[in-house]
Amino acid sequence: MPMIKMPPPHGGELVYRVVKKRDLAEKMAAGCVEYELKPTTDPKGVPIRHVYREIMSVCYGFFSPVEGSMVQEELERVLKERRLLSEWIFPYPILFDISDEDLKALDVKEGDRLLLKLKGQPFAVMDIEEIYKINPEEVATRTFGTPENNPEVVRVPFDEKHPGWMIYRCMHPNVIAGKWTIINEPVFKPPYDRFWFPPAECRTIIKNVKKWRTCIAHQTRNVPHVGHEMLMKCAAFAGDVEPAHGILVNAIIGAKRRGDYPDEAILEGHEAVNKYGYIKPERHMVTLTLWDMRYGNPIESLLHGIIRQNMGCTHHMFGRDHAAVGDYYDMYATQILWTKGIPSFGFDAPPNEVDYGLKILPQNMAEFWYCPVCGEIAYSESCGHTNARQKFSGSFIRGIIAEGIFPPKVIFRPEVYKVIVKWWKEFGYPFVNNKYLEIKNRELEVDLPPMELPKG
Amino acid sequence: MVYYLGIILDDKRYEQIKGTPIEEKVQYLFGGTLRMIPLEIPDDKAQQILKAFEKARIDSRGFIEDVPVALKRVVFEEIAKSKSLDVIDKVLERLPEIQEAARKEDEYIPPPEIE
Repeated sequence: MPMIKMPPPHGGELVYRVVKKRDLAEKMAAGCVEYELKPTTDPKGVPIRHVYREIMSVCYGFFSPVEGSMVQEELERVLKERRLLSEWIFPYPILFDISDEDLKALDVKEGDRLLLKLKGQPFAVMDIEEIYKINPEEVATRTFGTPENNPEVVRVPFDEKHPGWMIYRCMHPNVIAGKWTIINEPVFKPPYDRFWFPPAECRTIIKNVKKWRTCIAHQTRNVPHVGHEMLMKCAAFAGDVEPAHGILVNAIIGAKRRGDYPDEAILEGHEAVNKYGYIKPERHMVTLTLWDMRYGNPIESLLHGIIRQNMGCTHHMFGRDHAAVGDYYDMYATQILWTKGIPSFGFDAPPNEVDYGLKILPQNMAEFWYCPVCGEIAYSESCGHTNARQKFSGSFIRGIIAEGIFPPKVIFRPEVYKVIVKWWKEFGYPFVNNKYLEIKNRELEVDLPPMELPKG
Repeated sequence: MVYYLGIILDDKRYEQIKGTPIEEKVQYLFGGTLRMIPLEIPDDKAQQILKAFEKARIDSRGFIEDVPVALKRVVFEEIAKSKSLDVIDKVLERLPEIQEAARKEDEYIPPPEIE
C-alpha cells in the first residue's frame, strides 16, 4: 500500500490575494470609487449572508483556484457542470451582487477598480471584468437542482424554507465580476482568532508543527455531541498503513439557519473536546472557514472537499445527511456523489476520480447510536441490535438543551455543554435566532484596522 | 400513523409522577442516564402541532421535535395533573397560550444556573 502524502492545493497553487505592504495597498486603492459592503437580507430584513466572508475565503485561498466574483460564462459553467472555465471543479456560484440603485450610483464599468469598504474602513479592491444581470431565483434553483433535472438525489423542489436557496434567491439582480484583493487585513476577534488558520499556514502547521502525514477533515456546523466525537474517532481509523495522524475540525462560520448553534459555541465546543482530552490535542485541531452555509448536501460536500484539500487534509469524512437541512436531498446524496458520482450534476464518477477533480479521499461513514445491549456508542454497520438503538437525534438534543436539562455525559461531554451555557448567557438564547443574526451581522467576526487613503 | 412527543423527566418532574401509573411508562435512555415519557400522538393531532409551530418537525425516530419548550411544559403539567397520558386534547385546547409563550421563546430562553 502506498503511503499517502499531503495533496497539492486544488488547481495546483494556493490563491493568496492579500497585500501586506501598506504603501502598495494605498497605491492600489487611491482614487477608486468606494462601496461599503452590505449583507444579503431575507424578505423580512434578517441578514442571511455577508459577501465579506466570501472575499476572505477567496483571497486567503480556501476556495482556490477561485480568485473573485465569477464572470457570466463561468457562472453558467458552474451551474451546468460544476466546473470553472479553467476546468477545475467548483460547486457554487461565487457572486458579487449589487442593487440597481447602488450600481447606478457607483457608475463603474469594466476595467475600473472598486474599493470595497467594511465597517467604514478600506478592506479590498476589485478589478471589474464584467457587469451582468442574473435572475436570482433561477440561479438559486439551478444551484441546488430540481427533482426533474437531478432525479438521482433531489427529492423535493427547493423553496423559501431552504436557507441556501434563499441566499441566492435574495441576491440583487446585478453581478459585478472580477478578482478581489485584500488591502487591509481584518483582525479576528476572540474567540475566532484562536481558530483562524488560512490554508498556507494550516499546511505548514500540519507538516512542521503537528507533523501529520495523513489528516482527516471533519466538517462541522454543530457543537459536538458524543456521536460526533465517535464519528471523528472512528473515521480517523482511515489512513493508509496506519490510522490518520490527525483530525482537522473545520467549522463553517457565518449566518446559519435559526436553530443551529452560535458560532462561538461551535468553535469552543470542539476546542473543549481536545482541551479536556477526549481526543488529545496532538491529534486534533480546530479551525474555521468563513462561509454563509448553503446547506447543499452533495454540492456543499464538494466545497468542503476543496477547502480541506487546500488546508492540507488527505481525507474527508462524510456522514449521512451531510450539510443538509430538511428532506430536499436523498439522505445519502453526498455519499452517492463520492462513491459513484451524480451525472446530472456533471459527475459521471466520484469527484476524486475525474480530470481536474479533487485529490482528497472520501471516508463515507454511516451512523452512530447508543446501544443499550452493547452498552456503548455503536456503529450502525457493526451493531446487530437495530431495534434497541437510541439515536443521537440533533433535534432531540436541542430539545433537552432548550429545557435547561444538564445532558448526560453519554450525550454531551460536560465541558462541551458548559460552553453552550456560556454563550447562552451571552446571547440570552442557546441557538441561532434573528437577534443573534443581527448581532453577528453588526459585529462580524473581525475588526478592520484604520486605514487612511491619500486624497486624490 | 402514530407519532411521539418525548417528555424528558428531570428529578423535579420525576418526583411528581413517581408512584403513579405513569411511572411504568417511563423509558430509560442512554444507559439509564435519561428518563423520558414517549407520549403517543395520533396523525391528525400531530398535524395540528406541526401547523401551529413553524419550526416543528418529525425526526427520523418518528418524534415531533423542534417544538417550543412551552409545549413540553404544558404537556407535562397536564400529565402531572391528570396522572394520565391521555392529555393531548387538553394540551391542544391550550394552544393559543402555548403559541404566545413560544413567541417570547424565540427571543429569550433563560439559561440554566450551572457551575
